[in-house]
Amino acid sequence: MRNRLKVLRAERNWSQADLADKLDVSRQSVNAIETGKYDPSLPLAFKIATVFGLPIEQIFSADDIVVQAAE
Amino acid sequence: MIESVPDKLKPVAQRYAREMIIAGVLYSVVVFAGAYATRMDLPHWVIVIAAIAPLLPALLMLRAYITFVNGVDEFQRRIQSEAVMVAAGVTGFGTFTYGFLEEWAGFPHLPLIWVLPILIGSWGVALCIVRLRYK
Repeated sequence: MRNRLKVLRAERNWSQADLADKLDVSRQSVNAIETGKYDPSLPLAFKIATVFGLPIEQIFSADDIVVQAAE
Repeated sequence: MIESVPDKLKPVAQRYAREMIIAGVLYSVVVFAGAYATRMDLPHWVIVIAAIAPLLPALLMLRAYITFVNGVDEFQRRIQSEAVMVAAGVTGFGTFTYGFLEEWAGFPHLPLIWVLPILIGSWGVALCIVRLRYK
């Protein structure tokens, strides 16, 4: 899963520690999510979306999943 | 150990350290008392109770660890879970294999008392490796 956490954080001039504070997680967790080493749970992903004030799909994208429409 | 813990987790880690120290002191007292009891001429059932007694502070340690894991965030919990799984696998399969070596190849007998130290040691090593993987 890809995410735009680093870009969104930079736009707001937030450090990883700032974002970690807002999300109530450790800085290491933010770093692991940003670098794609850890995919957050759905509740944490929604919390991230709330903190950035964006819909979840504008932050996370499942680029390796192809959803096929029913024929 | 506390110094290497993220700020967010410090209260949780401090509580964990405090509970582990208390349980560790209790464990030492119980083990020394038990060892002393075995040298005295006591009934067998007292020795059996003395041998089982270290389990109680050990369970306090387990409770402290579970409380710690429940207090950290989901990513830290993932790290702890992976480390425990690796340690359980290494200890389980390692001692199982050593059992075959004892039975079939005449290797020296390994007392069961070493299983827990092996588990804790491999958990420590696994925790370092898992943490490095996510850096």
